[in-house]
Amino acid sequence: MSKACLREIQAQTYIELVRQGYEIMYLVSDSVSTSRIKLFQQAYPERVVNLGIAEMNLMGVAAGLANGGFIPITGNATPFLISRSNEQLKIDISYSNSNVKVNGMHAGFSYGTDGVTHHEVNDISIMRGFPNFEIYAPCDPRECAQITTYAITERVGPVYISLNSGLFPNLTASDHKFIPGEPTQLAVGNDITIIALGTAVHDVLEAQQLLGGRCQADIFAFTSVRPLNAAPLLESIRRTGRVLTVEQHSTHGGAGSLVAELMAENGTGSKLRRRGIPEGSFTKNWSAPDNKRYFQLDAVGIETAVMHMLVD
Amino acid sequence: MEPDLIKMKSKEIRKLILSTIVKAKGGHAGASLSEVDILATLYFHVLRISAETLQDPLRDRFILSKGHGSEGLYCTLAAKGILPKSELDRYLTHACDLSIHPTNHVPGVEICTGALGHGFSIAVGIALSAKKKNQSYRAFVLTGDGELEEGSNWEAAMSAAHFKLGNLTVIVDNNQLQLIDFISHTMEIEPLFDKFVSFGFDVHVVDGHSPQDLCRVFDNLDYEGDKPHAIIARTIKGKGISFMENVPEWHHRIPTEVEGEAAFRELEA
Repeated sequence: MSKACLREIQAQTYIELVRQGYEIMYLVSDSVSTSRIKLFQQAYPERVVNLGIAEMNLMGVAAGLANGGFIPITGNATPFLISRSNEQLKIDISYSNSNVKVNGMHAGFSYGTDGVTHHEVNDISIMRGFPNFEIYAPCDPRECAQITTYAITERVGPVYISLNSGLFPNLTASDHKFIPGEPTQLAVGNDITIIALGTAVHDVLEAQQLLGGRCQADIFAFTSVRPLNAAPLLESIRRTGRVLTVEQHSTHGGAGSLVAELMAENGTGSKLRRRGIPEGSFTKNWSAPDNKRYFQLDAVGIETAVMHMLVD
Repeated sequence: MEPDLIKMKSKEIRKLILSTIVKAKGGHAGASLSEVDILATLYFHVLRISAETLQDPLRDRFILSKGHGSEGLYCTLAAKGILPKSELDRYLTHACDLSIHPTNHVPGVEICTGALGHGFSIAVGIALSAKKKNQSYRAFVLTGDGELEEGSNWEAAMSAAHFKLGNLTVIVDNNQLQLIDFISHTMEIEPLFDKFVSFGFDVHVVDGHSPQDLCRVFDNLDYEGDKPHAIIARTIKGKGISFMENVPEWHHRIPTEVEGEAAFRELEA
């Protein structure tokens, strides 16, 4: 099955959207290569603005371009993009409800051995602190293209898109239609509910292969963090009585937290385990696969977690 | 509008500021009084904007980066007919959108400000929009001088020159005071003129309380040129009220009714 880079899918999508007449302006902070927008830049050089290594200014300028009638997109490695510019995100974009799109590249520990400074396992948690932002973590190239398109063509207001940097095959069906708020269900079963943030669902599906006939799981890609229609998740959790969350993100403030909050508020009383970066921990300055293994986010780790929950 | 008429508007705005703050028992008298003559000159002489053109894509944009000077802005917008004067009577009540730091729910306010060091970048984005679209509107941003201690301003300054934004003008309300003390005692920002020159700006120093001098500078800027403009406006915090002028505590202090009446008498004199 062919695999694709989500960032390149975005760049191709933006080229098409400009062709359709959307007034896109792509802002980078020395991050043309990080954002993989070379093709977009070649097609529309006048629509790329490089602010240099200056993320505070990047976000403020984006808000100004939105005021001027453009649809500004900001893209960089998300640890730099959203942390340095935290107050600009809060006031210039969130509070002011500016029509700015924020593409957080290299989410999780995508950057591997570049280490903790370059990892971002709190982006969902950080962005959940900003009202008006819609927050997405697409699970595959198809969904990435659909969410990227929706953010420009339908949504007037701030959008954050969290992107892992690996190569991913399509998991969704060719007729899949992303709907804001709806979790993406990728497998059906009654033994356990597994909810994975964005592309972490690829490892969950691999784990399902390892589990074979021992377990039939309801598997959801948690791609729409805000808005969120929780009903399908709660129905599944009530039915299976067990839920495992999997995310290349801190268990604090991400998918695991959100599911725990939903369960508590809705009194589901089901068993919950959260796999992610444990609250209060840094990632390791290791490769992404080594981090995955260490935090038990690889297929084997997920398989083990599921088996423990089934016999527990 | 002629400088003498702008002066009359300034007087009206100062009275509105005082009555608004005294009634609401909240605000920033010193900062708002400091900026009045700059705002009056902008809104009654420079800016191509009116109540009818608030949504016009080609309107000039003004950003109050020193968001704590909101009463100055609200009262100027009211004097200009953009904001109903009756709204000022409801300042800081739950019944209206006028808050101590302005939000874009208020007619005439482009974007929310209040945390310092934001407006300059926003104005760069606006000026860049006009340039990208070959449109002739201009961006004006008023910053405090203490505010320039925020590093984001200098990221913005760098980019304004790099993008050759002659349609951008930053005005510094240079009253030399910040929250509770003089800037020079807190964190020196001088030499401001040299800093802006070295960042590639066309720089002017002007008496920020003289509409005549302000008009002369604004009228002679090359808005279609390659250099962004910086106007260092020498001002006095609390300007117009003798007991407030240059006294740090009037950054936050609210005049009592008696003080408010005394201040009114000075303005009437």
